[in-house]
Amino acid sequence: MNEVKGTLAADHVTIALSGRVDSNNARQTEEKIMEITSSAAALPVVLDFEKLDYISSAGLRVVLHLKKTYPALRLTNVKSEVYEILEMTGFTEMMPVEKAYRVVSVDGCEEIGRGANGTIYRIDQDNVVKVYNNADALSEIQHEREVARIALVLGIPTAISYDVVRVGESYGSVFELLNARSFSKILAKDPDKLDWCVKEYVDMLKKIHGTVVPAGKLPDMRETALKWAKFMRDYLPEKAGSKLLSLVEAVPHDDHMIHGDYHTKNLELQGDEVLLIDMDTLAVGHPVFELASMYNAFVGFSEYDHEVIKAFQGFDFETAQRFWNKTLAAYLGTDDAKTIRSVEDKARILGYTRLLRRAIRRKALESEKGRAEAALWKKELLELLERTDTLLFTRNELEVEAATDNLPQVISFLEQKLEEADCPPKAQMQITMAAEEIFVNIASYAYAPGTGMASVRISFADEPRMASVSFRDSGIPFDPLALKDPNVSLSAEDREIGGLGIFMAKKTMDELHYEYRDGQNNLTMTKKY
Amino acid sequence: MLNIEKRANASELTIALNGRLDTTTAPELEKELKASLDGVTALVFDLEALEYISSAGLRVLLSTQKQMNRQGKMKLVHVGESVMEIFEVTGFTDILTIE
Repeated sequence: MNEVKGTLAADHVTIALSGRVDSNNARQTEEKIMEITSSAAALPVVLDFEKLDYISSAGLRVVLHLKKTYPALRLTNVKSEVYEILEMTGFTEMMPVEKAYRVVSVDGCEEIGRGANGTIYRIDQDNVVKVYNNADALSEIQHEREVARIALVLGIPTAISYDVVRVGESYGSVFELLNARSFSKILAKDPDKLDWCVKEYVDMLKKIHGTVVPAGKLPDMRETALKWAKFMRDYLPEKAGSKLLSLVEAVPHDDHMIHGDYHTKNLELQGDEVLLIDMDTLAVGHPVFELASMYNAFVGFSEYDHEVIKAFQGFDFETAQRFWNKTLAAYLGTDDAKTIRSVEDKARILGYTRLLRRAIRRKALESEKGRAEAALWKKELLELLERTDTLLFTRNELEVEAATDNLPQVISFLEQKLEEADCPPKAQMQITMAAEEIFVNIASYAYAPGTGMASVRISFADEPRMASVSFRDSGIPFDPLALKDPNVSLSAEDREIGGLGIFMAKKTMDELHYEYRDGQNNLTMTKKY
Repeated sequence: MLNIEKRANASELTIALNGRLDTTTAPELEKELKASLDGVTALVFDLEALEYISSAGLRVLLSTQKQMNRQGKMKLVHVGESVMEIFEVTGFTDILTIE
């Protein structure tokens, strides 16, 4: 049974099919369609499948014929069952096919997250819906789905939407999120959990920043930041404007992932699993771009009016500041206040740039509060530009796969840090040598025959001046310091080939310390210089 | 980075090392030696430009010393201070001939 009904509009003709189109009625259906189209001159044709329950290959051939005569053919309101057939047969790639969307209401639903382009509501115990601000959001939804999939494949735990729905006049995408709580909520309710939240939040951040994205898969944040800097030239004194632009230009391309909107509402705890959500801002770039948006989320946005953060995150400005400071220290792998402030300054330059551009474009300067806010950001930005010569920084911690192929990366990381700390060449050599022995040891044995991650962290102290390098891995518990030292008085013929490395480290370092803690091997070596 | 320069004179071979002899570069030296030691009775390592040696480098020197014990002699010349220290703490000063 099939009914064919035509409706003529000014610029297209809509033909509605219903019931089933199969070999029993395909010919009659085609004839009726022809009748309607022939009376509609050459107007583009839209097939409305709202009431169509099934289409067989005979029916699909009718659609194909029509597509030949009307290349702009579109299908709308396609039910899921029919959409599946069209997808399987490749029709969705040959012509625009719009699904019929389930209608979902968010009236009375709890808001659990809010991002740059939408708001997330919990619609039942197991599901949430992200409602997009933009009424015509289908391409945004497509983009977000795409990037979430890229992230998931690269090992970032995230939720991928499984359905697109209508929510009032907007679109929404539906995710499964079982009893999850955002980190903002945890922090607001239970301030004692701050340290735990910082740790999980920083672990995820390092994981994101440690992920290399294949070329061309994600937008380049550097390009975006260049646009901001160019925009701001019209609003800053000439010298400051060109300094800002040259600082951004000097940031090299970086193919590591950044989230782009990494604040505590976008991190969810589901059971004991931490999930990243709101993936539409995913990009590649230097971590300074990420830190800039983090600074804004926790401090920048509410720097003038401290109440802003409360409405946005649910916790107060003081908590936000503490969270940000601890996060930055943990992320950089240092407690040195000077180092932390210097990286923060770099983040603030980009943060204020973004806030000012946003305020100007959104006409926030028309209100008194908007002007006062912008004046504060601008004053800070100009001061920072005076005293900052680069936006680049490196963390005091390196995380790499425990493989001897990564040794040069470990060595050059340590050399750079030792150089920055003015460590004399001889001590530098001894430290990198000992580090080589320990890293190679981890690479060879910790995860054998499999593989895993190792982290190398360096810190410095004054009086006496010294450097400490710590190695961490989650491999089998093993204390290399407990090995018997090789007998160094034997003749060449009697000497064993192995065991020398750790011995050399013991001899050249002032202190070596091993500990198995929280399921990890921790080995720290210290050298005075 | 390690640069290996070879100078052969009849059955005498001099190998000058420039750079770092570590986990990454030791296999290169090992390969080079394997291909060049046939018939060599006097082997000289010129370490003037060697900046760094790790246990992986020591292992290559040790196994080469063992081989040369069977087919001739081996010595190290122009050993710099920092490399010398490593030889000292590991007892290599006693098993290698260092000039």
